[in-house]
Amino acid sequence: MADGTDEDHELMAGIARGDAQAFRRLVDRHAGWGVGFVERMVGARADAEDLVQTAFLRVWQGAAKWERAARFRTWFYRVLYNLCMDHFRANAVPTEDLDEELPDGQPSVEERYASAQRADRVRAAISALPARQRAAIVLCYYQELSQADAAATLGVSEGALESLLSRGRESLRKSMQHELH
Amino acid sequence: MTNDAERFRACAQAYGAQARHWPAADRALHARFAATEEGAAILAAAARTDDLLDAWTPAPVERALADRIADAVLYERPRRRRMLAWSAAAFAASAAFGFVVGFMQTPPDPGPDLVTLFIVGPSATPGIGL
Repeated sequence: MADGTDEDHELMAGIARGDAQAFRRLVDRHAGWGVGFVERMVGARADAEDLVQTAFLRVWQGAAKWERAARFRTWFYRVLYNLCMDHFRANAVPTEDLDEELPDGQPSVEERYASAQRADRVRAAISALPARQRAAIVLCYYQELSQADAAATLGVSEGALESLLSRGRESLRKSMQHELH
Repeated sequence: MTNDAERFRACAQAYGAQARHWPAADRALHARFAATEEGAAILAAAARTDDLLDAWTPAPVERALADRIADAVLYERPRRRRMLAWSAAAFAASAAFGFVVGFMQTPPDPGPDLVTLFIVGPSATPGIGL
């Protein structure tokens, strides 16, 4: 398959035999988007890295039980999503600190500050959404998963996914009313 | 409002203003209604929410992260496993040592057994005088 599914399956077979290089290659292929997804979910880079590391530990330990029929990426989304839910349950009060750097650009210090402030407010507003609404937005809007894959990750129908998206965006719109222009 | 118009509005509310986020089966609706006045207004409202979402852009993930994660899983975890193995070995050695020491100890004088006590009587057994 052109989407790398075959390579993922080969790597998983290697990992099941204890091949560390295969594991490194798999981490290299999927750590980036994994951290991006989890950071959008939990709102903090450090937590995201910890959760993604935990997910890869499960891969390393459980590769022998891997079912070749499943797409690795779809399965890994599900693992990460479940870890996020566990994280939310373990941390009833989400971490509000945000330590992120803006990408290099031309804006002035004041503009960068204003932009960072707005980004922080958006992050806080998204983090305040119910977890499944947040997950639906992150999967469909940011991660650009198909409706079928996003619904499968959340364990809901595509109709239910659409409802989560509508309600999530509506809540976001209301909470950030003053930011809309 | 027609069914198509309702569906167009529902998609804009759920998926935003950009057709690429919409279900493949509904993208033709996007193209059809986007050019209308009402459709353009619906998409403009959805685009404002998209702009909000776009305002939050996490920092790029650096290349070294994958190596850090792989190293942590491959090397830190086995180290914990080795510690566990050493702990188990130490526990087993301690148990074996205790068993040997206990086995080599001389058992204390058990005193007269009940049969002797019954046949000979308590006077024949030192330490149990009546």
